[in-house]
Amino acid sequence: MDHAGGRRPVAVGNGIFRRAGRAALAVWALASLLFLLSRWAPTSDAALGLTEPTEMQATAAETPGAHQLAQRAARQRLGLDVPLFYFSRPVAGPGQRPGWHWNGPRNQYHRWLGALLRGDLGTSFRDGQPVAARLATALLYTLPLTGTAAVLALAVALALAAGLARGPWWRRPALAALAGLQALPLFVLATGLLLLLANPDALNWFPTYEQAGAEDGLVALGACLLPLACLVLGAVPELALQLEASLAHEMRADYAVTARAKGLSVRRVVRRHALRNALLPVLPLVVDLLPALVAGAVVVETIFSLPGMGRLLAEAAATRDYPVLVGGVLLVGAARLLALLLADAGARWLDPRVS
Amino acid sequence: MKASAPIGIARARGGRALALGWLAAVAALAALGPLLPLAYAPAQPDLAHLATPPLAAGSAHWLGTDPSGRDVLAEMIFGARTAVGISLGAAVLATALGALLGGAAGFWRNHGWRVPWPAWAAALGAGWWALALPGAPAALVGAGLGLAGTLLGGPRWGRRWPVPLDAGVLGATALLGAVPRLVLVVALAGTLPLTPGGLLAVLVLTAWPGPARLVRAAMLRVTAQPFVAAARALGLPAGRVWWRQALPHACLPLRTAFPLSLASLLALESTLSFLGIGLPPEVPSWGHLLGTARTEPTAWWLVAAPGGALLFTILALQYLGRARGPGPAK
Repeated sequence: MDHAGGRRPVAVGNGIFRRAGRAALAVWALASLLFLLSRWAPTSDAALGLTEPTEMQATAAETPGAHQLAQRAARQRLGLDVPLFYFSRPVAGPGQRPGWHWNGPRNQYHRWLGALLRGDLGTSFRDGQPVAARLATALLYTLPLTGTAAVLALAVALALAAGLARGPWWRRPALAALAGLQALPLFVLATGLLLLLANPDALNWFPTYEQAGAEDGLVALGACLLPLACLVLGAVPELALQLEASLAHEMRADYAVTARAKGLSVRRVVRRHALRNALLPVLPLVVDLLPALVAGAVVVETIFSLPGMGRLLAEAAATRDYPVLVGGVLLVGAARLLALLLADAGARWLDPRVS
Repeated sequence: MKASAPIGIARARGGRALALGWLAAVAALAALGPLLPLAYAPAQPDLAHLATPPLAAGSAHWLGTDPSGRDVLAEMIFGARTAVGISLGAAVLATALGALLGGAAGFWRNHGWRVPWPAWAAALGAGWWALALPGAPAALVGAGLGLAGTLLGGPRWGRRWPVPLDAGVLGATALLGAVPRLVLVVALAGTLPLTPGGLLAVLVLTAWPGPARLVRAAMLRVTAQPFVAAARALGLPAGRVWWRQALPHACLPLRTAFPLSLASLLALESTLSFLGIGLPPEVPSWGHLLGTARTEPTAWWLVAAPGGALLFTILALQYLGRARGPGPAK
């Protein structure tokens, strides 16, 4: 840091705060947009959690009035009875000209935002549980999974790129395999692995979470291996290919040629000289790694039926459970914010002159 | 040039012809699907043959059937229709939209497009009236006066205020890039009821920032070129310089980006169908066909056919994108 100068670190700090602030603003705007969009559409009975299939039909058949009452009670309980936004445009009567009505702070958006600032994400439409509690339970599964996958993917990509830089005989086949793996959508990969390796009729090496039963800790851990492998295999190709291209570029630079000319081995040049510089252009990919893994978790957790964040999001989308959906989007945005801060620290470590 | 090496197959002779041939075959199957003499219609359950393997004795299902008895071959061919229709449509629309927005943002930036104040007054008044805010009739009169001022006074009239195009486009891309695309699409799909048209709109909405960023960056380089300055010095209107001179050059990187964007949209669309979030289950789709394999773990043919089709299509598109690109693929 000593040759970074006295003024630089301040500039770096400002830059990262501005970028993080911009990213936070984008997350807030996106969540607000989703909130308003979801509440704009008329909520159906199913979304209100009124249709418990058996019970609902009985009550509705008996008294339409009682059904209406239950609907109104549910809307009141979920806070849907107040206007949506600060101003609204009530439906005009026959002779009236439509106009705007100022609702003041007594509206859904204001309450949602206020609760959000207090750390309250609202309650799920489906089962009435607090969204924060559901997200926390889901994160207990997803965070270890995606965190391990991120670390493993980075390590594998680094090792692969460093190995490929030496130009071994397996370079061409390895690159072709990586390109093929990159083209394979994650859900095809996961389904294929599931049917091949966790299948009582084929090879049953990694019984899935459901087959193993949740109470047996060790078996449950083993059930996480296959999803982990899917996430890593899905993330490695792009990282490794970009890193390899970047490293190849650095190895042709003058300083690397000089290092080779003075007799250092390729391995040493890569590790001591080129790798740091080659990592810098790949850093944006690393920033996106954590959010991308959450997106990958949507697919992988659904396929392997793990009760994590991704499956929660997919199910919330399928059942139109908006509070969970908006909360999930906020959380993923927060993960990206965190990755941004980490990447900034990483950039400063890689290149002390970075501004 | 070295960057096209990553794909080993790329160096094989005729790789390009192979990729183009496969894509042409998929497109032809999609186009001719309804005309082919298929033994079974898509989405028609054949209850006598549930989850039959391919070429089984006593059944005319060449590629087998899925757990609800639908013919895999018919689902594959009509799934190609869905894939081509939705993914290609979304890719074309998103690329066009992104090129226009990104090109405009890169050309005019925040200060290049200045609008005289009577025009601002006209737009403000019209907006006020359209939203029926209090005092709407007065706003309508104001809008009329502003319009008259714009038409009569033209450019001579006083101050001109810039339209912050660049900030608007960059803000929109930042907003849409705040969470991964799959999460955003899943959230939007849960919010809005999805028809095929709605899915197309959601895909376009989430896919345009990529080409927009690319074209904007290219446009920043193009506007610094002498030929743009020469066109301006000739006295051509800015819009004409943009459309005829600058935009065609700024769109060159799209030749590389378009196949890659199409590949990612194809993967996204089939992922959504697989998750059961995208299209309704009666619409044939490769992703949905793959999804049925989960209920029948022994049915390898339910994974092999659509998975292979997806893999080859995406590989072909990626190869076409990389083979043309001068630098490392994005």
